[in-house]
Amino acid sequence: MYEFNYQNPASVDAALAAHQDADDGLFLAGGQTIVTVMKQRLAMPSDVIDLNGIEDLRGITTRDSVISIGSMTTHADVAANADVRRLIPALSDLAGMIGDPHVRNRGTLGGSIANNDPAADYPAAVVALGATVHTNQRQIDAGDFFTNLFETALEEGELITKVDFPGPEKASYEKIHNPASRFAIVGAFIAKFRDGVRVAVTGAGPCVFRLSEIEDALNADFQAAALDGITVSSDRLNSDLHASAQYRAQMITVAARRAVTKAGQGDRT
Amino acid sequence: MPVVSLTINGTSVVKDVAANTLLVQFIRDELGLTGTHVGCDTSQCGACAIHVNDMPVKSCTMLAVQADGCKITTIEGLAPDDNLHPMQQAFHEHHGLQCGFCTPGMVMTAVAFAKDNPDATEQQVRRALEGNLCRCTGYQNIIDAVLDGAKAMREAG
Amino acid sequence: MNKTKIGQSVRRTEDFRFLTGQGNYIDDIKLDGMVFAAVLRSPHAHAIINGIETADAEAMDGVLLIVSATDWQAEGYGTIPSKSATRTKIDGSPFAEPPRHCLAIDRVRYVGEPVALVVAETISQAREAMEMIDVDYQPVDSVTDPKKAVEDGAPLVWDDIPGNICLDFQLGDKEGTDTAFAEADHVISLDLVNNRLTAVPIEPRGAIASYDAATDSFLLYNSTQNVHANRDTFAEKVLNISSDKIHHIAPDVGGGFGAKNGAYPEPPLILHAARKLNRPVKWINDRAESFLSDTHGRDQVSRVELALDKDGTFRALRTETIGNLGAFCATVGPFTATGGSARTQGGPYAFPTMSYSSRAAFTNTAPTDPYRGAGRPEATFQVERVIEYAASKLGFDPATLRRQNLMPTDSLPLKTSMGLDVDCGDFPQVFDQTMKLTDRGGYADRSAASKAAGKRRGFAIAPYLECTGGAPKEYAGVTFHSDGSVDLAVGSQSTGMGHETALPQILASKLGISQDRIRYIQADTDATPHGGGHGGSRGLELGGNAVGQSAGLVIDKAREFAASQLETSVDDISFEDGLFRAESTNRSISMDEVIEASFGDDLPDEFEPQFLNTGSSFERGIISIPNGCHAAEVEVDIETGEVSIDGYWVVDDFGTIINPLLADGQVMGGIVQGIGQALSENIVYDDENGQLLSGSLVDYALPRADMIPRMVIGYYEGAPTAKNPLGVKGAGEAGCVGAPPTIINAILDALRDFGVNHIEMPATPEKIWRAIQDTKLSA
Repeated sequence: MYEFNYQNPASVDAALAAHQDADDGLFLAGGQTIVTVMKQRLAMPSDVIDLNGIEDLRGITTRDSVISIGSMTTHADVAANADVRRLIPALSDLAGMIGDPHVRNRGTLGGSIANNDPAADYPAAVVALGATVHTNQRQIDAGDFFTNLFETALEEGELITKVDFPGPEKASYEKIHNPASRFAIVGAFIAKFRDGVRVAVTGAGPCVFRLSEIEDALNADFQAAALDGITVSSDRLNSDLHASAQYRAQMITVAARRAVTKAGQGDRT
Repeated sequence: MPVVSLTINGTSVVKDVAANTLLVQFIRDELGLTGTHVGCDTSQCGACAIHVNDMPVKSCTMLAVQADGCKITTIEGLAPDDNLHPMQQAFHEHHGLQCGFCTPGMVMTAVAFAKDNPDATEQQVRRALEGNLCRCTGYQNIIDAVLDGAKAMREAG
Repeated sequence: MNKTKIGQSVRRTEDFRFLTGQGNYIDDIKLDGMVFAAVLRSPHAHAIINGIETADAEAMDGVLLIVSATDWQAEGYGTIPSKSATRTKIDGSPFAEPPRHCLAIDRVRYVGEPVALVVAETISQAREAMEMIDVDYQPVDSVTDPKKAVEDGAPLVWDDIPGNICLDFQLGDKEGTDTAFAEADHVISLDLVNNRLTAVPIEPRGAIASYDAATDSFLLYNSTQNVHANRDTFAEKVLNISSDKIHHIAPDVGGGFGAKNGAYPEPPLILHAARKLNRPVKWINDRAESFLSDTHGRDQVSRVELALDKDGTFRALRTETIGNLGAFCATVGPFTATGGSARTQGGPYAFPTMSYSSRAAFTNTAPTDPYRGAGRPEATFQVERVIEYAASKLGFDPATLRRQNLMPTDSLPLKTSMGLDVDCGDFPQVFDQTMKLTDRGGYADRSAASKAAGKRRGFAIAPYLECTGGAPKEYAGVTFHSDGSVDLAVGSQSTGMGHETALPQILASKLGISQDRIRYIQADTDATPHGGGHGGSRGLELGGNAVGQSAGLVIDKAREFAASQLETSVDDISFEDGLFRAESTNRSISMDEVIEASFGDDLPDEFEPQFLNTGSSFERGIISIPNGCHAAEVEVDIETGEVSIDGYWVVDDFGTIINPLLADGQVMGGIVQGIGQALSENIVYDDENGQLLSGSLVDYALPRADMIPRMVIGYYEGAPTAKNPLGVKGAGEAGCVGAPPTIINAILDALRDFGVNHIEMPATPEKIWRAIQDTKLSA
């Protein structure tokens, strides 16, 4: 690992100031991606600004049926949280599927979505649930947040503080695992709200995307059979050692059908 | 150079450490506790798993400086006397190790899991070991060891 | 007191240090003044080296030495020879063996080939300096696929090796086989691939070399599986010094599976550096470097043909293979795809005639060498797949077709067409016992339930026959100490298998003394005059028998002493359970007492002090024949192609089982490696540029705990072998020999409805999905 200055601010303001002052500052959240990247000498920040000491960024609160998750909340804490289990069990399930137990004890919501790995799980939940990403500067709608491969709407030095997830009527996440990395080859998150269904897919393309054809079909009829005959184009989907674009395209419909069926079974209302 | 102050296996340690030192390197090189192993460089294998504030964590994916103020337990600290911890004893009984290289990480993960899941099912144990690779045993004896070790831990109170 | 016996599931001595973090692996060893080496490796599959600039790197902080090809050649060092047992082509001319230097001289021939060594005070400094070395590479065309490598016009890996062919090979009765094929009712032909794998011991390779100027000799700690042979190679072949100048020790080794058996270039590089700097030099691979530079396994492309009668009787087996050697002949290299895969052709089936022919080809990939099984998994996969394929094509029940063709017990001993000496075994009995474990009665219901859930269930049974290998000679030395402890030094080596427990168990059992007294010593060239290390499931077959033999010699000497003490003749002395008894008088003296007496002052003249100390060499006559049968049930999700293994059953015939607990461990570990080969593991090089695409655990999918079913293991001990005194057949590799075809055939059984009758390994979800799609399209 290259050398760097390490900073451990106790507040968001201090973190922002440290980033401002640095030549090339990097926020360190759970570190489950970035420490590995730095270890392989693929990143050379001048300053690493550790967010783990900022208590304000942790925690889960609930108001009405919106769950507000601090950006530095670990996947393990999200998975275990009673309110998340009660209001959005699919989100709890998803968090419990990220990586492995060790990763879940350190990895954070904010770190994950700021990184926007195309095979990460959280982006699918953020988009399908129509979450709102709060930063120190503004609020960003889910639909505007994830912009491209490893890119988000965040500006240089902008820090995610929390993400608000509205509780749906039904939701489910179906993940087809990469057997080596355990990331998503395809991950489909389906959420049904009173005003409509949202379907977001991760793992298949360079960035999470919604599927309007599937959403329309489910809006008309929220069951797996409604998706009969729908195919997803493999254009612009990822192809790699583990899965071709054609396979991913097909698995999107498979995952979507299974998510719908599971969501139907887990009806909270 | 930052200073890191932590307790490791019950002992307080205060040391200067270069920021770009991984926690696993600090434990192995600075503290001379070589029971925690490095088996990969992409955070898959779990041979480096330890407890940070009683939670199983891969020490290769944390900076040493991040452990400031933390309580660290490594394999050497599991059973401070010459006796074996019930989980270690269970691994021994069930032949849950062969070359031993993945074993410290496997045992640390198992102990943390068993503490929170004393009545775990076999399926739950398999899932709990998702982050620990073993190339020698084929896992079956490890699973049996964890199930037995969890029971023994519960009985020991 | 721990009086153990052969056959008991004695718990392991070595567990205590492993469980408490007190193991002593290569990365745990610190020597005073130790410095650190990093290896600069080729980023190209095939390139000419026009020049190498190290001045900038040498100027960096902490850098002590940089060794490049010019430096290396100036020393006049030699090359690493291949010790392949197959050394001639069919026409009798010698195999093409390119020079394997420790550093690429003027060309690199695979991604990962060592180009330079950098030594610095810290590893970070060494790696940073490595980044400053400027190599002027001129990439040239490369070839990674062995089928393409032997085609006309393929890029040549070595300019002077035409067609990239190292050697061609033929074994068996070619004419008889051809005739049988011409006359047979049915001829079934199947093309298949045995996918390239890497061992991935969780501990990467590494070594520490130190030099003593006063004696001009070296101490080498090395995470290796063969200290004697590799010492000889490093000393006599590479460094041009005599073997006794290197003391070679393997500390605790974190797994090897064959990938740590051979001679590698890094140890001589650091030996040289240690001498140059007069400081200990440590090198250790990270995982990415392991993927690039560990020898890989398997990688064979074959056409397998089965000739059979209308009633299903096998008439002949004919196999033609192209094996991928990589860019060099590794230590065993060409043997695996030739002799190594030929000798167990046909498995436990009664083939009247067989023929095996192969070519071993060079490509721009990492060298291949044995990986657990080394030729027997390939041979077993070939015969089991062609039988299954024949069954599906011709409408035979796969289990019945197999059962009816197994070598009948009364036909043994026999010699197969490959010259394999099958001395004993009861293949039909083992087959039946395995089948009984699998609850075939409940299969129909389970299958229906799977179908109702949108999945398909499949079953397969695969008998296998394999053989032992590795160096044929082994040494065991027993030394008694006055404090009551006993040293047992052996030349074989455990890298997790449990010899530290099993070999003392044999000694303790034979001598009738407590196992706790025995200190086990292995993997140290000073401890035994010779040693065969690890490989070919030889640990108990050879190490165990060497211990047994030395124990016998100790008993002989002790019996003489007992006779003297009990004032009777040697013939009058019986020995059982650690007690010598004079039959005529019933007087007795224990082994413990004899041992103690051997340190006494008042020994009779004919007994020297410590007269019990004994070392002996045991040599194998003929390789043994472990065999058995695997069966599995799988469930395939036909929408995603994902496979879940629902049941796994094995009955093995390993002859005498020294320690059942440890034998189980070997079987299960091997099965899971076999499952990995069948379902998910694959070393993949880019076809065009030869880059290693599966270069980390993020891309190379090792099995994890949630992929493995509960394995049920049984043993058949009704056919002990007379090939060695302990009756041991060898157990270490059998699991990964039997598992791959069992899994693949079970998957194909599950896909019966779709008419899928072949699939290549690894049978990934996408491959299975595609196979189903393809049949739907053609339907």
